[in-house]
Amino acid sequence: MEGQPATLARYLRRAVVLGVVAGLAAIYLVIVGIVPAFELRPLITGVLGLGLTVPVVAILVIAYHAGRTPNTWPAPTGGPLHRVVPPIVTGLIAGVGLGGLIVIEELFSPRDILPKLTPQTTNIIGLGFEYPFGPLAIIGLCTSLGVLAAILHVLEARARRALVIAVATVLTFGLVEPLLRVMLLQLGRSDLAAFLYQAGRHGLTPIAALTVFILVLLIGLVWQYRGERVRRRYERLPSARRTSVRYGSFALVGLILLVLPAIIGSFLSETIGTVGLYLLMGLGLNIVVGYAGLLDLGYVAFFAVGAYATALLTSPVSSLSWEMNFWIALPLVMVVAAITGIAIGAPVLRLRGDYLAIVTLGFGEIVRILLLSDWLRPWFGGAQGILSIPPPELLGIRFFGPQQLYYPILIAVILGAGVSWSLANSRVGRAWNAMREDEDVAEATGINTTRYKLLAFSTGAVFGCLAGAFFSIKIGSVFPHRLDLLVSITVLSLIILGGMGSIRGVIVGAFVLVGLPELLREFGEYRLLIYGAVLVSMMLVRPEGLLPSATRQRELHDEETDESQYLTQAETAIGGPGISGQPA
Amino acid sequence: MRLRRPERLSWVGLTLLGLQIAVIAFVVVGSVLTIAEGLFSFSAWRDLFIFGIAQGSIYALIALGYTLVYGILFMINFAHGEVFMTGAFTAWFVGVALADSGILVDSPLIGVGLVLLVSMFTSMIVAVLLERIAYRPLRGAPRLVPLITAIGASLVLQYSVRGMYGAGVRAYPWGTVADLNGRVEILGVPILRSQLIVVVSAIVLMFALYWLVEKTRTGRAMRAVSEDKEVAALMGIDVDAVIMRTFAIGGLLAGAAAILYTFIFNQVAFSMGFLPGIKAFTAAVLGGIGNIVGAMLGGLVLGVLESVGPQLFLTGYGVPATNQLRDVIAFVMLVLVLIFRPYGLLGKKA
Repeated sequence: MEGQPATLARYLRRAVVLGVVAGLAAIYLVIVGIVPAFELRPLITGVLGLGLTVPVVAILVIAYHAGRTPNTWPAPTGGPLHRVVPPIVTGLIAGVGLGGLIVIEELFSPRDILPKLTPQTTNIIGLGFEYPFGPLAIIGLCTSLGVLAAILHVLEARARRALVIAVATVLTFGLVEPLLRVMLLQLGRSDLAAFLYQAGRHGLTPIAALTVFILVLLIGLVWQYRGERVRRRYERLPSARRTSVRYGSFALVGLILLVLPAIIGSFLSETIGTVGLYLLMGLGLNIVVGYAGLLDLGYVAFFAVGAYATALLTSPVSSLSWEMNFWIALPLVMVVAAITGIAIGAPVLRLRGDYLAIVTLGFGEIVRILLLSDWLRPWFGGAQGILSIPPPELLGIRFFGPQQLYYPILIAVILGAGVSWSLANSRVGRAWNAMREDEDVAEATGINTTRYKLLAFSTGAVFGCLAGAFFSIKIGSVFPHRLDLLVSITVLSLIILGGMGSIRGVIVGAFVLVGLPELLREFGEYRLLIYGAVLVSMMLVRPEGLLPSATRQRELHDEETDESQYLTQAETAIGGPGISGQPA
Repeated sequence: MRLRRPERLSWVGLTLLGLQIAVIAFVVVGSVLTIAEGLFSFSAWRDLFIFGIAQGSIYALIALGYTLVYGILFMINFAHGEVFMTGAFTAWFVGVALADSGILVDSPLIGVGLVLLVSMFTSMIVAVLLERIAYRPLRGAPRLVPLITAIGASLVLQYSVRGMYGAGVRAYPWGTVADLNGRVEILGVPILRSQLIVVVSAIVLMFALYWLVEKTRTGRAMRAVSEDKEVAALMGIDVDAVIMRTFAIGGLLAGAAAILYTFIFNQVAFSMGFLPGIKAFTAAVLGGIGNIVGAMLGGLVLGVLESVGPQLFLTGYGVPATNQLRDVIAFVMLVLVLIFRPYGLLGKKA
């Protein structure tokens, strides 16, 4: 196959296959219920809902892909036809698939086998047209998506990027409408809020969508074509000025973080608090998985230990009933956490990677079932858990409610990120790195792998327990039902989306995978489906994550080139011949 | 037990040794206390034991899927429990349709056989698709990458089914089939008919698999690939096709296990694959992963321990509601086996 010339016919064959894939993907999104459930969330009021957007974006991406030349193929011959025709073919076939689905519903209405394929659903994918015209409408839409993909191929790269960013911005503005609207109102910009979002209805108004699109497109075009100059001017600044610009932006971010709860109100502060807790856990698991390379699937165990330890120490109705102050209990909880980390870590030290993952999963489940059991009920309260955990007090301030609890969580997250960052860039971090890449070699170079593994486990445990402690005071009680495997999976998904070993990645992952579903209740049922899809597709397409750490990026992509460049340079430096041309 | 003298007596080794002794002491003391109390009659123990054998033979069938895949690819197919679930779930529609049309009552053999075939076929298709879409592109990637993919695939399968059909539990119409209900006496021991059918079918399937792996061309190719993929490829074996066939066989067995599971537990739900999957993996490791006879043995041992264990080990300590701790027994077994004997009962130490 590889040797064949890249004729148009070959592109078309591939386009047909991709079209079938796109069609099946779109049909799957419909029958699994994502399209009808997400359609309840309008992006542009009265024009476009999230439900239709999901398959539309999927088809667009696959159609665009149909016009690209795979790396293994020889350079295409002939004109631009191979970039223009395949996307249109792909779009058309995907459209026929969705149209066929409408026809099937109309003729057979297979409600028993496909309960989510209802007339309402076919009305969505038929763009609101009645039966014989609905399928035609969706075929037309998908074909025009193919045409759009073809146009994207013909455009210059910079213009394409500006266009994609503009569309993405409009969709994002529609998606985060609940957040933006509240922020604008709290900031006293009700005029702007009224322009962007119609009162009482979700989504951007069409006119606002158009305005945002044009504005962002113009800014994007200017930046794409003129931005290079600005960047160069910044780099030419004296280093003192550059530092002050950087500190200035830090100060601005800090200021925004400080006043955030006041701007976004109580409900959204609650959401941000949850994101913060997952962020903290993500930072902790990132140390265990990303830095040290130990896949821990039972991370929720530490979260549970933290929550229950806090509850036992502070709640007046717990079996201990010590009624400690939260701030005195917190260091104790952290000590307990470190010990738990070592206790769980020590027996599994000698296990290979995949067995370690399963054993930790086992630990997580054991902890949950024991907390739930009648046997330990006298201590942990069984299914009811432990109630009435008092809100923490410090210097006469009672941290009660999401808007106040935001601050201790923020401080914990900042501290956690700082600790995590400095660990990564220390001797310990380098030892973890070496251990992750090759345990035997690391051991041979004198790294005490036992000690460093335990250190990773206990550091990760402290982060997890801290998150658990804040969780318990946030909801004022603990019970075992929410402490299951799915918490571990959520945390794993967010560090894999962002990029293992990358702190920026954890932050982005937490906001996208925890913040967005909290904001948009329509996600609810499909949250774990999305996490699963994230795990699979990231591993298949981009294993280093969206925002990889610099080292990981190099490891996964430029390894060979770096090495050969280095060798060539070294050879040249000592006056010998280059490495190329010599038999290996 | 590990009688080999450790090279150096580190404190980690000591901890492990201590843990080992503690576990054995806990189990022995608990069993002695329970038996001394004499709360349960002999027939109660016997029924628990037979139930354990029945559920253990289901675990064994699922475990074969783990072990076959691990033997060839050295990866834990974490989504295998979901392969099991999709079979049972799809066949439920057929079962209900057959029950409505009366075929299930009139000719139970044909009805149950059809349900079984649908379940096996579905599981096979899902397993093969899983391999093709999620695992094949990752051949040769670091070991954790396919594991994470498998976890993701497991979530996607579970929550696709939930998305389509909701979280409710659905009951199989086995109550209407006379041959699946009541007891039969064998050597004077009354056994639930469903449990007997489960055990007999599982044994038949296991023999079929053993024959397939040991006596047929496909089986020989599978063994060759598991020995050395590159050399097998040089000998003219299509490695990708063999791997696909391995997944297909694992899927067929899981689909059959799923229907046997419904004979005993009589219900399906989107989450039904997780626990049997984990337990079957434990069974596979217990028997020595990659070892087919080991997986069968491991399944039976785990099934019996899980059924008898909570009462036998814990009642003596006065633990209330020991049945809540059934899954703890399974998970503790999982942890202990992986820590102390990761090469299994029949496997050799690597």
